[in-house]
Amino acid sequence: MALAGTAAHAPEHVVHDKAKMKLVGLWLFFFSESVLFGLLLSARFYLERINREEVDQLLGLGITCVLLLSSVTAFTAETAIEHDRRKLAGWMLVVTILLGTGFACGVGFEWGTAHFSKEQAFGSIFFTMTGIHAAHVISGIGLLVLTWFQLARGRFSGKDHWPVSGTVMYWHFVDVVWVFFYPALYLVK
Amino acid sequence: MKANVIAAVVFWAALTLVGEAFALSDLFPAVGSDQAKDFDHIFRFLLFLGIPVFTVAVSVIIFSLLQFRARGPEEDGPAMRGTGLPPRIWLAVTGCLAVGVMIYPGLTGLSKLQSTGSGFGWGDTDAEIVIKATGQRWFWSFEYVGQDVTVIGNGREVVLPVDASIKFEVNSIDVIHSLWVPAFRMKIDAIPGRTTFMTVKTIELGTFADQQSFRIQCAELCGLDHSAMESPVRVVTRAEYDDWLASQKSK
Amino acid sequence: MYALKSVAGALGAGLIGFYLGIGGLGAVRALAGYDAWDTEMSITFGYVFGVIGWVMGAGMWGAWGREWFGLRTYDRKAPGWQRYFVFNTDHKVIGIQYLVTFIVVFLLGGLMAMLMRAELTHSGHQLFSNAQYNSIMGLHGIMMIAVAVAALVGGIGNYAVPLLIGAEDMAFPRLNALTYWLIPPVALTLLCTPLLGGIETGWTAYPPLSVLTNNAQILFDVAIITFGLTSILGGLNFVVTIIFMRAPGMTWGKLPIFVWAMFATAWIALLYTQGFAVSLLMVLLDRVAGMSWFDAANGGDPLLDQHVFWFYSHPAVYVMVLPGFGIALEMISHFSRKPLFAYRYAVGALLGILGLSGVVWAHHMFTSGMPNYLHGPFLVATELISIPTGLIFLCALGTIWMGRLWLTTPMLFALAVIFNFACGGVTGIFLADVPTDIHLQDSYFVVAHFHYTIMGGEIFALFGAIYYYFPKMTGRQYNERLGKIHFWWMFIGFNVTFFIMHWPGIQGMNRRIADFMSDLNTANLIVSLAGFFLGASFLVFVFNMVWSWIFGPAAERNPWRARTLDWQTDSPPPLENFPVPPVVRGHPYDYGVPGSVHALFPGRGAEEPPRPPSTFPGAAPAPAGGGGGGGGGG
Ligand code: HEA
Ligand code: HEA
Ligand code: CUA
Ligand SMILES: [Cu+2]
Repeated sequence: MALAGTAAHAPEHVVHDKAKMKLVGLWLFFFSESVLFGLLLSARFYLERINREEVDQLLGLGITCVLLLSSVTAFTAETAIEHDRRKLAGWMLVVTILLGTGFACGVGFEWGTAHFSKEQAFGSIFFTMTGIHAAHVISGIGLLVLTWFQLARGRFSGKDHWPVSGTVMYWHFVDVVWVFFYPALYLVK
Repeated sequence: MKANVIAAVVFWAALTLVGEAFALSDLFPAVGSDQAKDFDHIFRFLLFLGIPVFTVAVSVIIFSLLQFRARGPEEDGPAMRGTGLPPRIWLAVTGCLAVGVMIYPGLTGLSKLQSTGSGFGWGDTDAEIVIKATGQRWFWSFEYVGQDVTVIGNGREVVLPVDASIKFEVNSIDVIHSLWVPAFRMKIDAIPGRTTFMTVKTIELGTFADQQSFRIQCAELCGLDHSAMESPVRVVTRAEYDDWLASQKSK
Repeated sequence: MYALKSVAGALGAGLIGFYLGIGGLGAVRALAGYDAWDTEMSITFGYVFGVIGWVMGAGMWGAWGREWFGLRTYDRKAPGWQRYFVFNTDHKVIGIQYLVTFIVVFLLGGLMAMLMRAELTHSGHQLFSNAQYNSIMGLHGIMMIAVAVAALVGGIGNYAVPLLIGAEDMAFPRLNALTYWLIPPVALTLLCTPLLGGIETGWTAYPPLSVLTNNAQILFDVAIITFGLTSILGGLNFVVTIIFMRAPGMTWGKLPIFVWAMFATAWIALLYTQGFAVSLLMVLLDRVAGMSWFDAANGGDPLLDQHVFWFYSHPAVYVMVLPGFGIALEMISHFSRKPLFAYRYAVGALLGILGLSGVVWAHHMFTSGMPNYLHGPFLVATELISIPTGLIFLCALGTIWMGRLWLTTPMLFALAVIFNFACGGVTGIFLADVPTDIHLQDSYFVVAHFHYTIMGGEIFALFGAIYYYFPKMTGRQYNERLGKIHFWWMFIGFNVTFFIMHWPGIQGMNRRIADFMSDLNTANLIVSLAGFFLGASFLVFVFNMVWSWIFGPAAERNPWRARTLDWQTDSPPPLENFPVPPVVRGHPYDYGVPGSVHALFPGRGAEEPPRPPSTFPGAAPAPAGGGGGGGGGG
């Protein structure tokens, strides 16, 4: 321990690695959220095993691609701000927001056209799982809008961009969840 | 140290003896079935094992309270860190105890209770007498299969023959209930959408009027009148049972 | 003034949010061609926006929310007692906020218990109808569970953990304040349930009953989901704090045992709490959206809920008891003036319980009609847990053995934890064995078991911890004689009440009933009387606390002569705890080890404030934390 050094001037505080703490905090949050999604996934197989109603495959594939693409643009935004390319970052955030909104609309459309009812077990599963996931997408969009707003006011830089990184990580997490939900809801059987 | 250990062990032994004597006292309600006999036996067995465990904690605490007491923080005790053998011995003893009760009476008792691996209930899957028990807020109905007899409603007596194996097939039409006969020491939940069962073997005569544990009792909170969802049970001889069936049919 | 502003702001913004939620939903529904008002949906929306309004109004907007919009944040710096009523980010204030709130909830829950015991003095109906009884019982259960989950973790944990590890605060102070401010709406919402007919389902809220029952269930669902959220956020905060905020030199092997316990607890809260949320969410969707998770006729399954619910609620019992063990071991070591016996095994035990807690849940479902092949594995896993739990006993008993037991009130409570939990744990084995559980499940035997574990194990630890930290928190000393009276009164009352309660259980008295078989009259009367006796003991406690907080004599910095860091700073500690950050050198519990030091405060030597005259030899002033009888050199 750097005992001798600290002894001289009675430092106010030990310096903590705040950036790392935030990062770990976020990961722990994802950890906890994974349990939420994991439980829903288990509930789906518990009730219906691998049975599945007919769903709109084209739409499912489409929104999945849209969401995955949005992860790429979000990633680009983060890299851009790391290199102080604020303008590119801003545009990439906008594209991400649009793609995310597209995904949410796609889910909404699926809800409107699905031929099964929420009163049947598969319907309950389908609407709950897509609903909870979409709620996360929408809150992610909210966060993206807030970060974009601040970015537009010139707040972030290559050195100080934690909110952008945090939001983008959240966005990736929501995407990864969909990577598990999509096969469970659209592909199995 | 040595004197203290001996004194504490003696104290523990004395407490344990008192405790075990208490375990011998009559704790159980009336015995109505084979399963009840098993339960009483296993419960008492666990009590015999559990009391010494409990008294270890109690005797060390009381002994230390009396023996190692100090007025204030003036002096420190010996710096025993508890490494080496003592914790390992403790681990071995408790480990053996835990694995022991796990095997007997745990798993052995379980295998005696379950005749199928994939079913939903206790005991044999077939029996001489089959009764379909259906829970509903807030009463049971019992249909004697093949007899065209049904007992419905709280307070209506359910009559069973002695020395017979009786299978309750349990169902519910609204919420979860649970079929429990304290004298038989058996219960199983009634779940909508799934038939569960329990098979008991009656071995003693008994009536609710004499022994209140001869009753069917709902044991899962099912709302407003959960506490009233009970019916008396009467275990009678075979002849009386046949008479009773006949009298019920004529109604 | 600040206090008023903050509380009024919280209430006002909460109400505005509530009506906005209802109104917004109503507008959308009306546009879509439905009735604007749908009781449960409207309440849910109103609640969600109401809670957001509440926390924002309490000061989160100024301290945090503005930042999201790129605005400058500000704090309400309230002086004196008013700091307890604002969105304060100081962990010590939050700890006390938690404690006081939950003591109030505890007393209310206890009052419910008194009402229940009054009804149960005799078979037949005395005071309440079945409906009233059910709602009192459910409220007692859930309020006490909330106390058990959050009072020790949120109160003592928040207060003590940063002090014990030598940190200036928790890792995320604003998040910490948020977790506290979410609690009052939860409590208020639960207290509102009788207005909508009362909770009918007990604290477990099993469907289909919870789907079919009255509207109060919706309040229960949303309140408990919020409560789960605070649990998760709190757990996250503790994990990060303990990993990153330890003082230099505070290695994992030197961590006070309470901090270890909080670490294990925080992981449990973080990992499993979602289970409760998911189970209640599914109930909520069945109710509000007409889904069929639990409707067997449409392909649902009631047992699904029990699996998900107990997936959380079994680990939750360790959220309750692990910090209790931790603080009890802590006190036992300080007051026995001996090193913690088998420290490493205790840590292993805590982590072992953490590991096993997630794989035993179905022992609550042995009679639920789940498939037979599940019973065996869950029986085995459950009984395995007694091995790590036994190690905690080894640690406690080994520490008091040959110690110099200083029987202060906190020490008595700590010993009572071990005493009571031995009984509660052993009865757990009866329940874990399927052949005995078939009879005992849902009987008063279970009720006795869990009061022995929760109340005997955790609530006793909570009260011990309150006495233990009272001087540190308030800067005043409580009245020791009253403390001891409270202890013996509560201890005797508790054991009589709940020990006798096993017997009606074996005899076949089922839980959650307002009316029971007449042959159990005597036993229940005794239990009730003992219960009233127990309840009265808390009057002593409340009096002692209130009186001593106002009039008590000033407390020393380290009245217990304990070695851990929390006692090496002023009572009460200054804003960021340690004017000079400590550097940890040795083990916290090395009593009786000559020359051992737990921590040093570099550079403080000369300006060291005069310490109270010490009554024991060798307490050299400079290396604070030396403390032990060996005297701190170095
Ligand atoms: C703090 C809370 C707490 C704690 C710590 C525990 C601890 C344990 N509990 Fe308990 N339990 C509850 C709170 C708690 N419980 C609650 C609230 C309920 C009811 C919920 C409801 O339905 O409302 C419940 C219900 C409950 C049931 C379901 C009963 C039923 O409804 O049918 C079971 C069944 O297995 C059980 C078992 C155990 C076991 C095996 C332990 C073990 O962890 C105990 C281990 C400890 C020891 C065994 C003692 C010390 C060990 C030694 C000295 C070593 C040597 C001993 C041996 C090897 C045996 N508990
Ligand atoms: C922390 C957990 C905790 C604690 C401390 C207690 C404390 C007590 N409990 Fe609790 N109890 C539970 C948790 C707890 N309980 C749970 C989870 C259930 C299950 C619910 C369910 O089935 O869903 C339950 C159920 C339960 C039942 C079974 C109900 C039933 O199944 O029908 C009973 C019956 O006797 C009971 C009794 C008591 C008593 C007498 C106390 C006593 O210790 C209380 C002590 C008394 C006080 C604390 C009162 C002090 C107050 C005053 C003196 C007045 C001043 C106060 C004000 C002015 C506000 N409890
Ligand atoms: Cu039916 Cu309780
Ligand atoms: Cu459990």
